[in-house]
Amino acid sequence: MTTFASESPNTGEAANADEPSSLISTLPGDYYTDPAIFALEQERVFETMWFCAVRAADLTKPGSFRTVQVGRESVIVSRARDDSVKAFLNVCRHRGARLCTDESGEVKRAFQCPYHAWTYGLDGRLIAAPNLTSMPDIDRTEYGLSRVHVREWLGYVWVCLADTPPSFEEQVMGDVIDRLGDIESIDNYAVADLGLGRRITYDVKANWKLIIENFMECYHCATIHPELTEVLPEFADGYAAQYYVGHGAVFGEQAKGFTVDGSEGFDRIPSVSAEQDRRYYAITVRPQVFVNLVPDHVILHRMFPLAHDRTVVECDWLYLPHVVGSGMDVDRSVELFHRVNQQDFDACERTQPGMSSRVYRKGGVLVPSEHHIGAFHAWLRERIGRLPVG
Amino acid sequence: MITVCRIEELPPGESLRITDGVPAPIAVFNADGTIYAVDDTCTHQDASLADGWLEGCFVECPLHTALFDLRTGMPTCAPAKTPVRTHQVSVENGHILLHISVGEPA
Repeated sequence: MTTFASESPNTGEAANADEPSSLISTLPGDYYTDPAIFALEQERVFETMWFCAVRAADLTKPGSFRTVQVGRESVIVSRARDDSVKAFLNVCRHRGARLCTDESGEVKRAFQCPYHAWTYGLDGRLIAAPNLTSMPDIDRTEYGLSRVHVREWLGYVWVCLADTPPSFEEQVMGDVIDRLGDIESIDNYAVADLGLGRRITYDVKANWKLIIENFMECYHCATIHPELTEVLPEFADGYAAQYYVGHGAVFGEQAKGFTVDGSEGFDRIPSVSAEQDRRYYAITVRPQVFVNLVPDHVILHRMFPLAHDRTVVECDWLYLPHVVGSGMDVDRSVELFHRVNQQDFDACERTQPGMSSRVYRKGGVLVPSEHHIGAFHAWLRERIGRLPVG
Repeated sequence: MITVCRIEELPPGESLRITDGVPAPIAVFNADGTIYAVDDTCTHQDASLADGWLEGCFVECPLHTALFDLRTGMPTCAPAKTPVRTHQVSVENGHILLHISVGEPA
């Protein structure tokens, strides 16, 4: 017997005005599947906001570079001769060929286009080109590489593709302050002075917002993160550290450290305060950074949204220099959040196909412990100029 | 003979491209205190050696890394095969003077 009467088809259109008051709507499904919406996000989010691109210490000397995808643009981030970090659009000013095709590398003293050999100094200036001396009217700065704004913070190079960047203090530091209450709370971790213990890159077949939303809530923690809830028992209640301003989740009594088996971690970062000891803090810095703070290390995720259904996440585990320098075994420490990442990204990949289901056309729902995600959705809608209808 | 500049206007590691009063552009270099002058245009493809990179008494073409010995004008590696002409320079009364060679390259 069919129960799907034609006059009231169950198309999952529950997330509406008549829904129970404990539920609020998510974004509609097309926000996760429509390339046109992703294009708006590239233009109005990733290409206009500060974007955390590269760990500064990865650029070891003049000529070191990395290329990263920021919105629709490929960006070269490199160290110049004076040791400053510069960023340029990865496009030759002559005929538009991509200058650097490698993800990282080192040039001796210049970026040279492999097509016609237009050659740019590490400051972006046009140094040489075939027959350039017979074209004295070419201004070598004007036809140098297109510069992108850079800022270094937490030991990372942040870039902004906007002509006039927003205030770094308001956009980036503001998100940290909204979460932790003040900037000193993150300064205590001396993130820029830590060394890279491990980097793992995840290629996630999911929309970037699913990853953000996942990171913002802990309703899923008891279900998919057994190791994490063992170390942070309050996570089993479903309230994320991000739910309360300034709150850090307390380590369980049994946990000696923030490790996969609760075994001892490393020395506490000296400037971490007594109140911050044995606690875990998580921060989302819109639009693409997650920071996790624990007493002996910092985990920093950078997301690179590449398509509406694909996001590359580069995750760094940062430790005190002597921990990295002496080659201490960081495996159990890394393994805890690596598992969390795998569990989370599996969940996001499991969710992505559902976004194009007719049952999700108007979206799903957020339970009270997830309601703060609604603020992220409102923020996004406003940024891309798509306010809800009605 | 041409007066290039005052000696302090060409510090070590720097180069100058001379176009006035010369049949073809000439590059003048200060290689750690020794002044050299050679034809400015790379013999491989039209590029200015004055825009290149000075390494000891060699200059590397900025386009395709041909390396020329500033003492002899000889290329030391591919892709250049033909030498550049060298020109005599002297320093008198604090000025760099250029004596243009009219002969064939070495």
